Formats: sequence, C-alpha cells, structure tokens
Amino acid sequence: MLQSKSFVKKTKQGRVVKVVREHYLRDDIHCGAEICKVCQSSSVRLSSSASILIIDTNVVLHQIDLLENPAINNVIVLSVVLDEVRNRNMSVYNRMKALCTDAMKNFYVFSNEHHRDTYVKEMVGESPNDRNDRAIRFAARWYQSHLGEGTQILLITNDRENKRKAVEEGISAETIESYVRSLQQPNLLDLVVIPTSAVKEEIDDLRPLKRKAFYLEHKPMSEITSGLLHRIYHQGKLRVNRYNPFEAYVGSESIGDEIVIYGRVNMNRAFDEDVVAVELLPKDQWSGVKSFIAVDDDEDEEDDIHMVPSSADAPPRNTNVANGHSGSTPIISDRPVGRVIGIIKRNWDSYCGSLEPMPFPAGNGGAASALFVSKDRRIPKIRILTHQLGNLIDKRIIVTVDSWDCSSKYPSGHYVRTIGEIGDRDTESEVILIDNDINTRPFSVQVLACLPPLPWSLSVEDMANPHREDLRHLRVFSVDPPGCRDIDDALHCTTSANGNFEVGVHIADVTNFVYPGTPLDEEAAQRGTSVYLVEKRIDMLPKPLTEDICSLRADVERLAFSVIWEMTPNAEIISTKYTKSIIKSCAALSYIEAQARMDDSRMVDPVTTDLRNLNSLAKIMRQRRVDRGALTLASAEVKFQIDTETHDPLDIGMYQIREANQMIEEFMLAANVSVAEKILKHFPLCSLLRRHPTPTKEMLEPLVHTAASVGLDLDISTSKALADSLDHAVGDDPYFNKLIRILATRCMTQAVYFCSGDLAPAEFHHYGLASPLYTHFTSPIRRYADVMVHRLLAAALEIAKLPPVFLDGQRLTQLADNLNHRHRNAQMAGRASVELHTLIYFRKRPTDTEARIVKIKANGFIVFVPKFGIEGPVHLTAKGDKQGDWSVDAKGQTMTKAGTNTSYRTLQTVRIHLEVVEPQPHRPKLELTLI
Amino acid sequence: MEYVSSLTGFRFDGRRPNEMRQIRGEIGVLAKADGSALFEMGNTKVIAAVFGPREVQNKSQQIDNQALVRCEYSMANFSTGDRARKPKGDRNIISYSADHGSKYINTFDASFSGKNLKQIDIFLQVLQADGGTRSACINAATLALADAGIPMRDIVTSCSAGYLCSTPLLDLNYVEDSAGGPDVTVGLLVKMDKMTLLQVIALMPTFFFFCCCICFVLLFV
Amino acid sequence: MKEILISLNQTQKVRLQAALQHLDELASQVSSANLAVTVADTIPVNNEDGILKGHGTTEFDGQVVATLCGIVERVNKLVYVRTLRARYKPEVGDIIVGRVIEIAPKRWRLEINFSQDAVLMLQSMNLPDGIQRRRTAVDELNMRSIFEENDVVCAEVRGFQHDGSLHLQARSQKYGKLERGQLLIIPAYLVKRRKQHFHHLEQYGVDLILGCNGFVWIGEHAEPIDSEVLEDRDKIPKDKHRDTPLEVRRNICRISNSVRLLSALGFALSVEAIVDTAEASKSSNVDIKDMLGAEFYVQTAEREVQRRASLLKKKRFV
Repeated sequence: MLQSKSFVKKTKQGRVVKVVREHYLRDDIHCGAEICKVCQSSSVRLSSSASILIIDTNVVLHQIDLLENPAINNVIVLSVVLDEVRNRNMSVYNRMKALCTDAMKNFYVFSNEHHRDTYVKEMVGESPNDRNDRAIRFAARWYQSHLGEGTQILLITNDRENKRKAVEEGISAETIESYVRSLQQPNLLDLVVIPTSAVKEEIDDLRPLKRKAFYLEHKPMSEITSGLLHRIYHQGKLRVNRYNPFEAYVGSESIGDEIVIYGRVNMNRAFDEDVVAVELLPKDQWSGVKSFIAVDDDEDEEDDIHMVPSSADAPPRNTNVANGHSGSTPIISDRPVGRVIGIIKRNWDSYCGSLEPMPFPAGNGGAASALFVSKDRRIPKIRILTHQLGNLIDKRIIVTVDSWDCSSKYPSGHYVRTIGEIGDRDTESEVILIDNDINTRPFSVQVLACLPPLPWSLSVEDMANPHREDLRHLRVFSVDPPGCRDIDDALHCTTSANGNFEVGVHIADVTNFVYPGTPLDEEAAQRGTSVYLVEKRIDMLPKPLTEDICSLRADVERLAFSVIWEMTPNAEIISTKYTKSIIKSCAALSYIEAQARMDDSRMVDPVTTDLRNLNSLAKIMRQRRVDRGALTLASAEVKFQIDTETHDPLDIGMYQIREANQMIEEFMLAANVSVAEKILKHFPLCSLLRRHPTPTKEMLEPLVHTAASVGLDLDISTSKALADSLDHAVGDDPYFNKLIRILATRCMTQAVYFCSGDLAPAEFHHYGLASPLYTHFTSPIRRYADVMVHRLLAAALEIAKLPPVFLDGQRLTQLADNLNHRHRNAQMAGRASVELHTLIYFRKRPTDTEARIVKIKANGFIVFVPKFGIEGPVHLTAKGDKQGDWSVDAKGQTMTKAGTNTSYRTLQTVRIHLEVVEPQPHRPKLELTLI
Repeated sequence: MEYVSSLTGFRFDGRRPNEMRQIRGEIGVLAKADGSALFEMGNTKVIAAVFGPREVQNKSQQIDNQALVRCEYSMANFSTGDRARKPKGDRNIISYSADHGSKYINTFDASFSGKNLKQIDIFLQVLQADGGTRSACINAATLALADAGIPMRDIVTSCSAGYLCSTPLLDLNYVEDSAGGPDVTVGLLVKMDKMTLLQVIALMPTFFFFCCCICFVLLFV
Repeated sequence: MKEILISLNQTQKVRLQAALQHLDELASQVSSANLAVTVADTIPVNNEDGILKGHGTTEFDGQVVATLCGIVERVNKLVYVRTLRARYKPEVGDIIVGRVIEIAPKRWRLEINFSQDAVLMLQSMNLPDGIQRRRTAVDELNMRSIFEENDVVCAEVRGFQHDGSLHLQARSQKYGKLERGQLLIIPAYLVKRRKQHFHHLEQYGVDLILGCNGFVWIGEHAEPIDSEVLEDRDKIPKDKHRDTPLEVRRNICRISNSVRLLSALGFALSVEAIVDTAEASKSSNVDIKDMLGAEFYVQTAEREVQRRASLLKKKRFV
C-alpha cells in the first residue's frame, strides 16, 4: 500500500519547498511477541510473561537512564517514537539504539509507521505532536487487539493529555513514576527524572514566599535571533576557565575578541561549551578580577547550610561571586565583559563526581535532595533527588543535568549510575577516562568486521603488488620502550660502497588495513589517538591490528611504509625515497637493550654496528637541529613501577632519557619532516601538518622574570637565541638546567594539527623543532593524524587515490580540530592518571623531600618536586587569611615575612613534607607543607 | 544519516533494502507521437515520446546503413522540489542524450537498418524527479519504442542501486541519491542477458565500487 | 490512442467497462486464439524445420524471438509478427491520402505516415488537361500549379523502386488534389484494406476516402471530371469561388466526428460503422459537438457490442 507524505519545509537558503515523499505501508511487519501466533517471526523479543510496555517519546527523551536499567524490560519501541527522539536528541537516540540491539534487553522496535494497520494519517489542523501521540495510542490499541486480552499492554507516558486520551480510548496507561513505583524497587526511583513543573509545584507548596528569580530569565529565541542580527547580542561558545569556574569566555566572531563573563549570575546558567547569546555590559563595568591563586580547591561561595530535603534552593550569600574574593582588586580592563542572556544550544552531558557530604535526613527511606559535586570544576553543583542516599554518599557517580530553572541556584539532574568507591584506583581511572571524554567502549561488530581475517599473514597479492618493494633482505630492527606491543616504527642502516649510509625508517602500513570511509576508519578518526594511562592503554585501533597485524614485531613479515635516505657520513641527506614495502624485523629492542649494546664495546654483531652508525648520524643531525634553533625542552615525566598483582604503584621516579631514545626520536623527526615536504609539494592545499606557533613575548615573560631573579638573562628574541640561553643556563646544581627547561616548556603553546589550506605558509612553522614544516607520520597505530598523512603520502606517490575527505576543506579542518581535541584530552587523561597514581603512592607513604619554588604567590608559593614530577602549592598563611604578613616584591619573585628576614625566592630549594590529606571528605589531595 | 534503520531494517520510505519502488507504466499517452509512454518509479515520473522511423530531416546527419537515433532529454522546471534549477543545454543533459542515442542503436533489429535511411527521435521529459530519473527514462523510452512498433532485439530495462550505511540499496529515491554514496545504474537486455549501460557515480575507492556492483547484481537477479 | 479526453461519470464508467469487457469476450470467441507477443518473447514453432522468419522476428539462441509487440501470424512456413500499433506499411495498390511536403525536380514528396516520404513522379500523374503526353520542361515549371506544399492528395501505391524509395501514382481522375473537406489522421491499423476506399455518402453529399495509411479524407462531394466534359473549362474557376453549403459542412463535421469517435474507441473504420454512428447521432438528436461527449461515447461502444453480437449470431446461424 502506498501513502504519500507531503510537507513543506524551508531550505538552508531560506526558500520554502514542498517535499513529497513516498511512504509504503506493509503487511509483513511482525509484532515481535512470543505469544502471537499470527506473526511468524524469527526475532521474537517480547516475552509473554510480563506486561508489555509501550513508551512515549517524552519517556525516552527524559528517562533514558531509567530505560537502560535492567529492571525495565519487555518494551515496544515504536518507530514514530524513535524518529522523534532522533530529531530531538541524537545522543539519546544512539543510546536507545544500543538498547534495542542489546541481547540482554527485550526491546522490540515496531515500525508502526510502515505497518498497514497502525499507520495514521495526519488530520487537518492536527499538530505533528498530536498526530504522533495519536499514532502511539493507535499502535497500543492495535497491539492490545492483536495479542488479545491475555496480554497486558501498558502505555507509559508522562504526557497528561496523552494519558487521559489513552484511558478514554480504553488503553491502560501509566506515568513512569507510578510504573516504577509499582515495580517495588526504590533505587530505581532515583533514575526517574521528575519533570521540572512537578518540582516547581512542590516548591511552591512548601515555600511560597521564598521563591524568587535567582537568575535572569533567558530571552526568547526570536528576540535573540533579531538581537544577533542587529549585533546587539553576540553568539559564541562559552568556555569556562579551567582554574576559575566563575570566569568564562565567549569567543565571538562579531566582535573578533573574547568576551569575558564573570560570575555565575552573569553566566546565567550556561554550561561549559554551550552556545550562548551574550550581551555586552556597559564599559564602566568592564572590571576584571586579577588572577588570584586558587587557594582552595573548593568553591568559596559554598554556603554553610547543609542541604535538607527540598531546600536546595537557598539563596546564596553574595550574588556576585567574583567580588566575593576579598583579595582581588577590581581593575578596569579593556577586555569586553558581558553576560549571557540566552542559550542557543545546550551542551548538557553526564558528569562524574560525588555527592556533597551531608547529614543523613531523618528517614532513609524517602527521597532526599542532595548536591552533586562534579570532578570537573567547571561544572556547577547539581541538585539530584535520591532514594538511596546512604548508598551513594561514598561513591563516584554519574549524574545528568535535566534542567535549570531561573529560580533555582543549581541545575537539577538525576542519578545515572555508580562507578565505584571513591578513592578506589579502578573507579578513579574510569572517572579520568569519562572526564576526558575518552571512548573506552569495545569496538563494535561493524568495526571488527573491517579487520582482515586472522591469523593474518603476507599474501601473494601483497608480494605481487608493483608498488610494494620487498625489503625483507634488509636488517631492520626496532627500538621501543620495554614491553611495547604496538611497534609502529623500525629502522635499518646499511653502508654503501662509497662510504655513504642508507638509512630507512619503516612505519607500520596501517592504511593497508584501514580503508577510508569504513566503520573502522570512522571509529579511529573519532578516537583520534590511543590513550596511555599508567596502568593501561586504550587503543585507537582494535587489538589485532594494534598488537599483531600492524605491529612491526621481530621475525615476522610485515607491511610497512618506508622512508629511505641516502646519507653521507656527515648526515647530509643526498636523496629521499618513499615506498610501501615488506619488511622482516630481526630484533625488537628496548631502549635499555639498545643502549647497552651500543655502550658495550665487546659487542660487534651487525645490529650493534648499525645501531652505532645510526647513533653517530643521529648525533650529527641533532646537533644541526640545535644549531638551527631547536629547543631542547624538558618535561617532568615520571615513571611508575606497578605491582603486577595489585596494580598499585610501587615506586615513582623521573623518566630517564637515554641516548637511544634521542637517536630514535631524531630519525622519526627526520622522517616526519621529509614526509611533510613531500605531501605539501603534492597537495599544497589539503595536507595535514603540525605546527607549533611561536610564543608571544607575554607568554615567555614569566620565564624571563623567573630567570632574572636568579641572575640569568634569557634571550627570547628567536628560538635559536632562546635555545642558546637555555644551554648556557647552568646553575649550581645539576637539576637547575632541567628546571629552567621545564619552565620554558610550560610557556609554550601546544603544537597543533592543521590543514595546509587554512593558513599561510609562513605560519606552518614548528617553533620547538625549528623546522619550517612538520607533520606526524611515524605512529599510525596510535595516532589518526599519521593515518591521514599516510594516505596523503600514498596519493602523492600515486599508489592510491586521495580519499574525498581531503578535498572537503571544511571536513578536513573539522577532522584536524577533533584530532587536536583528542590529543589534548589524551594528554590530560595521561597526566590525570599520573596524578592519581601519585596520590595512591603517597597515601601510604608520607615523605619528606626536596622541592624547588617555581612561582611566588600572594599567600604562598608553588613548588616543583623534581623527584616525583609533582607540582603543588605550599601555603604560608592560614586558610581564609589571604595575605597574612607576607609581602611580595614588585616583580613577584621574592616574598618576605614582615618583621623578619625570612624570605623565599623563586628557584630556591626548600624541603617539604608530602602527605595525602582529605580536607573535604572524598576529595583526597596531596598536601605540601614546608618543613 | 541513517538511511537504513539498523533497528527495523527499513528505509525512510518503508522499503527493505532490496525492494524497488512501485512502478507503473502506461503506453499510448500521446496522440501525436508514433509511440509514447509514461513511466513511474515511485514519485519519479517520466514521459517519453517516439517519432519515427521517419525520413532523416537533416540529410547531413545521415549515417550509412544505420538508423539515426536522436534523443532529447529534459527536466521539467516543476519536476523537483524547488523550481527551475538548471538552464537547458546543461552539459549533463547533452552527454545524457548522446548516451541514450548510442545505446538504443545497439538494440535495434537488424532488419531495421538498411538502405532506407531513417531517423528515430526520442523525447524524454522528466515530470517528477525523485531519484533514479535515468533508469526511469530508459524504461520509459523502451516502452515508447515498443509502442511505436519499432523492432528491437530485446527489451532494455534499467534500475539503479546504491550503497549507503554499509548496505546495498535498490532503486534509490532522491533523498538516498543525494546522500553522496556510490550509485550504479544498470541497463540490461533481459533476454540476451547483456548489459547495455553500466554507470557508476562514486566518490569512493574502487573497493566500494566492487561491493556495490556485486551487491547490485545480486539484487537484480 | 487518447485523441479525445473524456471525463466519464461513475455510471458511464461502469457501462463502458461492461461494454469493453463484452467486446473482449466476443473477440475471444471469434478469433482463433492468436498468440500475442511482446518484444523478446519466444515464438513457439514446435521444432518445425524450414521455418521462414518474417517481419518482426529474429533468431536468438536457436529460437524465434519477436522483435515487436503484436500478434503472431503464420502463413504456411512463414512466421511473422503483426504489430498492434506502428506506422503504415505500404503495399502495392493501396489507396492512400497524403500531404505534399516538398516539390522536387519532376516529383512531389508526400508525407504518408510511412517511415519515409513517398514520391509522386510528375510522369505518373495525370495532367489536368487529361492528355497523355510527354512531360515537358514547361510542365515541370508548372508543377506548383498542380500541387502545392501542404496540399492533400489522394494517390495509389505504385511500388518500391530499386533505390528503396516508395513511389505513388495518380493516373485516374479519382486521384488528385482534395479540397473542401477535413483530413483526419488516425492510426493506420484501424483502416482495413477493402475493395472500395472511395465512398460517396449520398445522403450527406459527402466524399469519404479511407486512406490505407490512416489518413481519412472527408470532403464535399466532387463529381469526377470526365474527359468528355473537359471542354467545359470555365467551370473550374467558377467552382473555386463557390462556398460549400452549410448543410454539407455540417455533414462533414458529423462524419469526421464519427471517425474520431470510432478511432478513439479503437474500432476498425468501415464505411458502415461510420455511417451507422453518424445516423445514430442524428436519430438520437445528438449535436455535432456533443458527439465527442461522454454519453455518446459510451453509447457508441454499446452499439458496437450489439452489432458484433448480432454478427456473431448470424455467423453461427449460417
């Protein structure tokens, strides 16, 4: 049967088009019920034992967390509901999809829109919503009559009108609350989102007088749109300051500058990453708050009243939070300051954190209101209603935001799930991953279907491929950290008759297995990078690829993408060759092994000789790079020794960098540079490169000041000058130089991926490496950028066609942005993981150690503990007392206690005591105190 | 976009991936033409008119021992959602016409060609475009030629298929067609088991093309 | 053939449906189950040897395959397909009506709904003066005074020449230019070859020429000019300025509407059927313009059913 659907829609260009679409109605759609004898279906999902639920769209949209609970089962999801959900909220839709395919859950999708008997035609004057509601009721009625009276069909809807109509039509209908209540599982009730209107009423009942608008009402959308058009308002994405949650920025294109927003009131319920409309404040109110050190880990505005049920909306002490910090001095700045007047697109998500400790309410059985504190400081506290307060109080939980009414101080949300005990290592690791938005889900079936059949071995076609050179005769070996499973680079070095060297860098040929446009490729592009935590690794590509097929392990034949140079003994590159190849690595060495071989003069085997040759070349190349102005930066990388049984850290220490590391690094850099040149030559507009912007003078200023305080004069005019001054910065102790370098590293911006078409060639420069061009080519197993570069290189060599994504500038920029974002997240997660393990390590071992002051603040200083790579504040004054009797000199490099001659200056060595304390329950932190 | 619901396996319009749209053909719709046909594939509607065989009008176009087949293709301004898109004489249309003409010559009866040089004009107009216009044109032209009583060795039929959401789809409609996936249009001589047209539009590597082709043949048979 | 687009109401639709179905049944009783084929259908020949493949057939894979849509006809060993609808296929002796499209040296080219233009040579044409003589250059120059472009001409198929072109002749007084009437173009297959294609419908004062090529001429009756009266020369110019009487013009329209109606219904055109229809319209007081209306359309179909049914009865009776 054929139905024609026609509707009018507006195109992007603003034209109104009438769209006519066909709509086929079928008679071969099964009801999916076990009891049904009419429908012969192999995919029976609905058991007859319990009543069958039909859920309304609003239930799916708001109660998705509840639906994911195993207690909710035997559900019919109508296609009309799914469609509506997809249009409203994509993430809920995806979760719903996962639910419907979950074998453990009996969710059956019934295409009522295409079933001959359940299709309803829109009536004249009926709104689409009403029509959909009617379709749902109609389908429910059909099910009831189809399955007979023996089966109970229950329509679950939170729409009062819909429920009323359903009951009138003789369908049993219930609201989600009453249904969940009937299940007799009190903890389920936590998952139920109470619609705001209901909450409001409750508040009205209880405290009718106290209810007042806390925030300004958001402006209606129409007003915002016209305001944007007339440039009264400005649109942009709100980004909350990571270190000060009361300060946010909105990058606005219409102003061309960032608008600063101070305080929660001005932020007006906007979350981080929300797209908001901002109104500028009058110029005389453009007062900035000088950055003060985050003395406390907690928000100062915290009221001392503990929450009692239903009273979470207590008015705060002072509305302008920014001004609440007495230590701050308001100054008139020239940065535009504004306030949010409307939210264009919400970025609400679920957040990890814990409940704020509070006394137990009298009865534990009833619902209690509690405040949820996110781990991410940018997120305000969230009020939730729980029935299982006792259970949750010491757990890490995930909470979702549902609404934020202007009369309520905090957004309201609901409990989603528990991750685990606070402080537990696994729990906290998971929190880190969730916080950094790292996808830890196992790879989907579609993704795994893209893998080549296992076990993989070199095929005849690969060998016959004219573009693939057989390099198995070469003595190729790899050098990696110990225990490395995903080996993506290997080297070889041979001497030719004329005394020159042939040096090859062989990179795993990941693109031979990951085709553009496949689910595997999309997944990898989405993940962007592998994430390395202290105790585990989250792969970008499925394990068989990461650890076996692509990994250039010893003594197996592997496909590679090779860059081969001919070099003089002076490491001058004479020629460069790029080719796909087949290699057979003869040894997978660790850095330590490689170093040992090179150092041991007794060893004269060929591999060792190659290593020594490579090392001598690398040294020359390194020197040349340094001469060019490359910075040797340092970072405080630490290494843990992990207990193999408990996975707890046993020891902690700085990561040692050996010559072998530098040797490998040198050749990888060279390969990356060579590839960057090649791809840019062929694709000047669509190459993916990596750049490191030159830091501005302001950025380097703190470094210069610090150095000056110890009598060191740094020249920051060029990277070369800086590198030289860094080299000459030799202090009285061996660690001094490294410390300076670490400080220098801090001042730098992050290197980023970009698309060559987006910037002028002058901006391609990589400051840190002092290279005009740079890209990432050498780690395709763990970085997606390298996969893209591999494809570019293959296209440049005319081995493969350029995938269409490269021709779409916008997509490419998006991809590059995502890679940068993922890269940053991965780094943060790694760092957070280190922090976590440091915390665990010191929990049982309070330690005294040496530290260096790196920054003086008004009420204390920040120290760096070289041994453990830890940095943290040391308070000299009591909490609450902002300045005490310490005074800081003009440049902010020394501080002196009034009346005494006790003073501290930067880079001074101090002894400190390290201990884990819990100033607030469930927020353990490492405290440093001066001895 | 999810062109095939992973949950129900249906497409937007309620078809399964291997199902065609409703087709409807009518011949003799124009009084003045020697043969005419109206062909619908779902919402795609094409009218075809055949004139001839008749005397070659422009003698310079005569080809020895061959019939001159001309084909003109046009899209009605009102055929798409928004009116009047491209002006006539579009590059696409010209190549299209050439395509059609040469294709049909191959399918004519041998008895037809001979000393008497003749001309056959095929006029195709898309009245409603909803994807698969090319296939619909071919099918309509075939019907119109049969209606005109022009001897043909075999019936040319055509259908398109595409590859979206990792699923091969038969007979794409406009929404699916404009999704940017690879699509292939095939013209088949059913009796002779031959292919007269194979056209692939894909911004995809050949790997997908093969997927697409294989799936298509599977679907079609 | 949708020459006339008629909107029928519900009862008329039902009646028409019934009538057409009835006709189908009658037809199936009469015809000896001739095989209908479409392009690429295999024609069963029962493995007979020496089958001659005629028009509209070809051989594929050892089978006889149709290249046209139509009815399979067999004449002894010859198998051919008669198309349902195609352009006119001339046979020698066919009387056709055509339209002059070009005047070439010593010949006229005529459009006759064939796949090529027909040729009427000056020498295969009786001159207006009726004298059999060699055509001179002067005659050639005066060709345009005989037939001009767009003139409607009646002629007879003479045959195919060696070069494949179709030649006509008009060596009789009954052939020649047709004036004062209407030319209707209907599908050629509706005109069956008969002994007589010229009809003088005396009661209407109208000439009806059913050209085998589907061109039907309905015009005022013109007396064939015998050579004896040729002396009477000044009669012709006088004729030229004479108006056709209104009654005759009405009759022409009535007959032509009959033809239109029958061809729209897809009934074969015979002079009897045409006259029948015209008479019926007259007797039931149907206006000329209403003849193409829905009601008369259905009535005509129903009358045809009766006619054929009675024919069938007669046949059986015999």
